[in-house]
Amino acid sequence: MRLETRHWIFAGLFLLIGVTLVSGIKLDLPVSPDTQRMYDLIEKLPDGSVLLVSFDHEASSLPEIQPIARALLRHGFEHKLRLVGLALMAEGTAIGYRLMCETAEEFDAEYGTDYVFLGFRPQYIAAILSMGESIKATFPEDYLGRPYDSLALMRPLGNYSDVAGVLSIADGSFTTHWMEYGGRYKLKVLAGVTAAMVTTYDPYLASGQMQAMVSGLRGAAEYETLIDRIGGGARGMLAQTSAHLYVILLVILGNVSYFLKRRRAN
Amino acid sequence: MDRKIAVVICFAFGLVMFAQYFSAHPLARSVNQTIADYWQIIFAFALIVGVVGFLNNNFQQVRKGQDRPFRLLSLAGFVIMPVLAMIWGIKTGTPFLWVFENVQVPMQSTVFALLAFFVASASYRGFRARSVPAAILLSAALIILVSRSFATGPLSDWLPGVAEWIRNNPSMAARRAILIGIGLGSLTTSLRVILGIERTWLGGGK
Repeated sequence: MRLETRHWIFAGLFLLIGVTLVSGIKLDLPVSPDTQRMYDLIEKLPDGSVLLVSFDHEASSLPEIQPIARALLRHGFEHKLRLVGLALMAEGTAIGYRLMCETAEEFDAEYGTDYVFLGFRPQYIAAILSMGESIKATFPEDYLGRPYDSLALMRPLGNYSDVAGVLSIADGSFTTHWMEYGGRYKLKVLAGVTAAMVTTYDPYLASGQMQAMVSGLRGAAEYETLIDRIGGGARGMLAQTSAHLYVILLVILGNVSYFLKRRRAN
Repeated sequence: MDRKIAVVICFAFGLVMFAQYFSAHPLARSVNQTIADYWQIIFAFALIVGVVGFLNNNFQQVRKGQDRPFRLLSLAGFVIMPVLAMIWGIKTGTPFLWVFENVQVPMQSTVFALLAFFVASASYRGFRARSVPAAILLSAALIILVSRSFATGPLSDWLPGVAEWIRNNPSMAARRAILIGIGLGSLTTSLRVILGIERTWLGGGK
């Protein structure tokens, strides 16, 4: 097989990411105002406040989404918030449940009192609207089939007026639905999203329809700095930085070669 | 006649949902809850249609001998996952979650990660400053790319500010224009459907 330019590019990227991932270099990241805003908002919530955490993502974006979710969950549990997990995408269900259980274990949080995982409901718009009227009617049982009223945390919760807000962990446009349909019930929306979705949500953040947003691996790494718990965000950030610089180098090389060829042709 | 019934039902539900949105009356809330419940039930039935379609398509292809190993693997996954969930449950540490975490998640992440290689290759071969607009786009993309990375030294002083300006001004202006366009388009289409002017959803042209 004859090796073409693209094969060398692929090999270069593979090697670069591999080397940076094992290098273990620590990055000293400055915290952006967006990430700081999320941190401050969670800090301001009184102890025992109930926060819905919606895992609205697929498995494919897990390397980017998981560090964001884990950092936010850690802050939530550390700050003694009571977290109610759910998923509007089927794939987010198992991931969300595992993430919540693992993070809760770090803080000795008790299932049913400090956190609950409600599971998945099909048709996200109907689910969001229905929870606005009654969370119990939408989720009569939790993910493991326990009745709603048997869970101490859930018993006093009627609808959105009993929760501090929703934290949507999303890799697509699901957070928009929380704002559009949850907004009717004055539900406060926070978001942890992939970097690719930042520009989609910028107008909502600027208009105040979204309260705060942590985005991409950089956001996760910044949040880990804030809560002083280094995790997947900082590690991934190193690989992402090297890949970004590699892409920039390729763009420059591609353009230099393009202009040289054009000059020769003229 | 059957089409007229569908149009009348659509009009009635459109009107009811529109009216209840502006009311906090218990009756309006109850109507909203009931319709949301039915909506979820109807959607669950739509999933059955998808499942039947998946099975039908795969069995047909297996019979024809087309991509047989892949089709059989898909069907095996379709059977195995519910069986694992029914026998051992879906808690952490169960075979269901193990298969999900160790088969589905890595496979999907791998396919998604391949994008990085295509982007790297495309950035060398396709991202060219052929014209002034292309050069502006290229510069903005590079600034945003560096701003999402870890930049040190003099870059870290001015780069975040420039990237923030791009996000908050040209990028947000374009995004808002698109959102307003989508909003107006959705409103128009909804009105056309509710009033029975738009009937293509009934499966015919007229």
